[in-house]
Amino acid sequence: MKIKWFDLLLFILPAFFLYTIFVVYPFISSIYLSLFNWVGVGAKKYVGLKNFFDVLFGSFKGEFFNAFWHNIYFFILVSIIEVSLGFIIALGLATQIKGYHIFRSIVYLPNVISMVLVGFIWGLILNPQIGLVNQFLKVIGLGSFTRPWLGDPSLAFNTIIAVNIWRHLGFYVLVMLAAIINIQPDFIEAAYIDGASNWDIVKNVIIPLTIPTAQTLILLLFIWSFSVFELVYALEGVQAGPFRSTDVLGTLFYRTAFGGLGSARMDLGLGAAIVTLMFIVILPISFIYVRLVERRRI
Amino acid sequence: MKKFLSILLVFVFSSLFLTISSGTENKVEIWSWRSQDAEVWARVEKELNKRGIPVKIDFRPFVATEYDAKVMLALQGGTGPDIFYARRLPGGRTQAIIDAGFIEPLDGKIKFTYFTSTTLKSIRSGGKTYGVPFALQVVGIFYNKDIYDKFGLKEPQTWDELINNCEILKKNGITPFFIPGKEAWTLVMQHAMCGVSILGPEWIRDLINGRTNFLDPKFVDLNRRLNDLKKYYQDGFLGNAVTDQDAAFAFGQAAMVFSGIWGLQTWRQLNPKVNVGYFMVPPLTKDNKPYAYVYMDGAFALVKGAKNRDMALKVLEFTATPDFGTIFSNITYNIPAVLGAKVPSDPLLLEVLEVSKKHASPYVYWVGSVFVTQKPSLYDDILAPGMQAMYAGKITPEELAKMAQDGISQWYKPLMKKK
Repeated sequence: MKIKWFDLLLFILPAFFLYTIFVVYPFISSIYLSLFNWVGVGAKKYVGLKNFFDVLFGSFKGEFFNAFWHNIYFFILVSIIEVSLGFIIALGLATQIKGYHIFRSIVYLPNVISMVLVGFIWGLILNPQIGLVNQFLKVIGLGSFTRPWLGDPSLAFNTIIAVNIWRHLGFYVLVMLAAIINIQPDFIEAAYIDGASNWDIVKNVIIPLTIPTAQTLILLLFIWSFSVFELVYALEGVQAGPFRSTDVLGTLFYRTAFGGLGSARMDLGLGAAIVTLMFIVILPISFIYVRLVERRRI
Repeated sequence: MKKFLSILLVFVFSSLFLTISSGTENKVEIWSWRSQDAEVWARVEKELNKRGIPVKIDFRPFVATEYDAKVMLALQGGTGPDIFYARRLPGGRTQAIIDAGFIEPLDGKIKFTYFTSTTLKSIRSGGKTYGVPFALQVVGIFYNKDIYDKFGLKEPQTWDELINNCEILKKNGITPFFIPGKEAWTLVMQHAMCGVSILGPEWIRDLINGRTNFLDPKFVDLNRRLNDLKKYYQDGFLGNAVTDQDAAFAFGQAAMVFSGIWGLQTWRQLNPKVNVGYFMVPPLTKDNKPYAYVYMDGAFALVKGAKNRDMALKVLEFTATPDFGTIFSNITYNIPAVLGAKVPSDPLLLEVLEVSKKHASPYVYWVGSVFVTQKPSLYDDILAPGMQAMYAGKITPEELAKMAQDGISQWYKPLMKKK
């Protein structure tokens, strides 16, 4: 059948139009904006690459790299915990133990709660004086372990990561569960006939066959880890306290572009430089990762 | 039947259109970061309607940290309101809006008879007045009078007396101070209100002129005093927000808070029986005069090319009268910027009003100061994270002083020579 290019173009056009307006244009415009100083009103002042210099080597270097390492740390910790925990829970659910439907719904439930609400709920749960966590620790006689979970600089970021895991784990469980269920039952039956134990089957059949799914999840996690913002904002505000110990590139961008407190000057150009750098980090690493994964599959 | 239905539909749509269009004609849209003012504007609308001005006020509050960006982008995009709350000058954001020509000067259009020249100075640029100032804010230490009376404590005259009060309260199992340390701006406010009394206005003037700098031992000493004070704060104070503070203070779970007069409305709403007192941060010795951090909060600015300019001007005319000040202060317990208003005969409010007249520090380094007009700002970028870091034991009082000096000397010329 001959391909009718005009018809094909007609089908692509609506998506292309929307993609251009909502993705391509804002992206190019933010790169353009990163070459200016602009407070949001009035004339833009062309400064060339000065914003990038300020972010990478100048006055914002400290804040940028602090936030950048937090994103990396977030990615590493979240990848290890969410993917492995997601796999373990999915494995449990795949055995179809009694009531697994209910467990599956429970695990997925936090995913449907909006992030603002998650921030509000956990803000209360982690309150140093009246929060559920500290109250519970006191009741069971572990009062010495009570902490200001969101106010202690050595704990705050890990606490946010824990809340993030609570919020998103269900998604990873569902994806891993789908991957496990999709494994041909013949493989598992054959292994049993050959005398393999449950552990042997997990180690030699299930894990190798779910690795491609885990690799895709890790790639997604990498992209999501660099765009994390809402949860930090909801739990610690735009200042990403205590003293930037929870700062990520998303909050740094927000604070720089849209301002933080009082009457300090904001700079959309500087903010645009930060998001451009975020893109420069995410895009090549994602490409390299995809290539590496594809090469290994071949 | 068909004809009847068509006529009915035409009638319904035309009346709907007329209602909408008549509504928009008189509608004045006002944007603010102060959600507590919603009732004020409802009362203003009623009052103006009574006077034969058929205005409909559409008041829209936004989250304070998002407000400025929202206003700027809306003005740039031509979708702004008729009136917006402008932050005071000197201030980078309001100045940028003025420079871009988005605010209509009000000279000759509004009578500023009821404002002092000092108040108007905080919204004047290039000899023109860009808004109607609305509130004076006074910050200081607010205390629970019942707790103070219970332990026979008096308002401290010196810093040492304050420490002594804290000691007595702590020994009796009372939390002396409740600090919302998760919200870093409150720590900056605390630093600034202590600064005007402990460092004194002369020292701050010298700082502004470049005759001293943040590395001065006096500034380091202030940092150290604040750091030493933390043993009197509630456990885990870096994990608490302002809402926690308000509830704890209103219900007597802490004896004192560093706050602004704006808190009174909330404390009274939470617990009408709360017995609140106020004192300025005490100076180091009795020979020194205590000072209060007083600042003009902001002003109502008219957007150039406002959709309903004439009606918006009528609203602004009213906000420049004592009648508005009376409505404003009776609802919010804030001190109106307009003179001649009848503030509620509340002893605390009257005391704070008196303090604002007699003890306002003429030089400051927080809101309304030059140090917050550029980046890195002493407010957002230095003291906000720096105070949290010092309280968490991550940096020393000396390092906090160095942070301030290094940050501000990047762009503030008078401090550049001294490293």
